[in-house]
Amino acid sequence: MPLAPLDETITITQLIDDPYPIYRRLRAEAPVMRVASVKRTLLTKADLTRAVKDNPLLFSSNDPNTPMRPALRAHTLMRKDGPEHMAERMAMMPAFSPKRIQTDWAPLYEQLAQDYIARLPRGEVVDLFATLCGPLAARILAHILGIPEATDAEMQRWSQRIIDGAGNFGWKPELFALSDEANDEMDALFDRLAPQRIADADGTAYSVMLTAANPIPMSQIYANLKIAIGGGINEPRDALATVLFGLLDNPDQLAEVRAQEAWGKAFEEAIRWVAPIQVSSRLVTEDTELGGFDIPKGETVMTVQASANRDEDLYENGEEFFVFRDKNPHQAFGNGPHHCAGAHIARRTVGKIILPMLFDRFPDMRLVDRDLVAWKGFGFRGPINLPVILN
Amino acid sequence: MVKVIYIAADGTRTEIDAPEGESVMRVALANDVEGIVGECGGAMMCATCHCYVEPDWAGRTGERVSGEEDMLEGAASEVTQYSRLSCQIPLTGALDGLVVRLPEDQI
Ligand code: FES
Repeated sequence: MPLAPLDETITITQLIDDPYPIYRRLRAEAPVMRVASVKRTLLTKADLTRAVKDNPLLFSSNDPNTPMRPALRAHTLMRKDGPEHMAERMAMMPAFSPKRIQTDWAPLYEQLAQDYIARLPRGEVVDLFATLCGPLAARILAHILGIPEATDAEMQRWSQRIIDGAGNFGWKPELFALSDEANDEMDALFDRLAPQRIADADGTAYSVMLTAANPIPMSQIYANLKIAIGGGINEPRDALATVLFGLLDNPDQLAEVRAQEAWGKAFEEAIRWVAPIQVSSRLVTEDTELGGFDIPKGETVMTVQASANRDEDLYENGEEFFVFRDKNPHQAFGNGPHHCAGAHIARRTVGKIILPMLFDRFPDMRLVDRDLVAWKGFGFRGPINLPVILN
Repeated sequence: MVKVIYIAADGTRTEIDAPEGESVMRVALANDVEGIVGECGGAMMCATCHCYVEPDWAGRTGERVSGEEDMLEGAASEVTQYSRLSCQIPLTGALDGLVVRLPEDQI
């Protein structure tokens, strides 16, 4: 079989600005395409991305040589497979279960959402992205992780620096210097809080990991917390901003969502439409074949779930935001062993608590101008501002 | 082929003839059975494929596999002694006619 075709025209800047027209073309013309600028083989159809994620033996996450290692000063579960990945993940999972969220956390989250929403100014233009989506996501995460002593600003700064470091494929020293600084701050906080989280054991991720019958090593506990910080703020932030945009930009759908209380459905549609995590990489462990092309061992394939989520084989009008689809088997949370550990938290906090509360408090909220909302991102994507008027 | 019967929370019955070796989760997804999400694709990482095995069949579907118990903790609906993750129930000839009930919520 031939090797996949090679594209030398697509640029990273194009992908960051608006990847969707490119993905639509790739789905139609070349669903398996080596893209020179990205140095990866991009997979843009849903069956391909799912098949890769579901087969961790052939398409491994285990790649200790990515910038994620220096960015977190650890080889983390995100980049491991099999029993090792399982042990580290399961150490943290009890804190993230729906039951825990419902029984332990829902009242606190409601309170937090209320507080943050109450602070928003009325009758003037406010950027919900900066004033609500980011800070509230940071606060909720700080609590569930068991580090509420960290401020919203710290959480968001650490998260961004981890992300920038983990994506630092150009290996620029400045970016690692920034992530190092964040690591020092996080380590100091974790050191300081550990005795207390052991003495007053609770359901937070940190406490659960520290007090487990067979705890994972301390270094991995820290790495897990950092992965959660790096992966647990921007995604719910972007999901919230995206669903708000989708609903405000489509008043008819908003009215129907309100009538049916279909907030959960609206959330699912938003993350299908613009998945906060757009792509993932997997290392090919054996010579294999995908979509009629040879894929040699050692190559890195990139599953583009952003594109899979608009695949014409699964969706009519996939490019549109439409809450009331018959089926929505999106891959925004991924598939396989690395399926998003925060899926339940995001669904419950954004879909069940924040959205209904926000529209209840501000029934006449409206976008200032849809064209003022800027979207950005190739690896991660969402609006980077959301100016609205609250009444 | 073996027959699997899914009974949704609202009572809807769906009968499917499925090949042996497939999991109860995959068969549901392949046939658009509402009520099973199976988001992680059977990696036992999402608990969105929760089902209740009809008591008569519980003996034949076998024990929960290692790790399943922990993951079931994460299920969205109530977990009972008949709860299983349907991705961990492979269909065999002995399961011809299997009945599983689906929970109210998976996510
Ligand atoms: S499909 Fe995810 S646990 Fe069964």
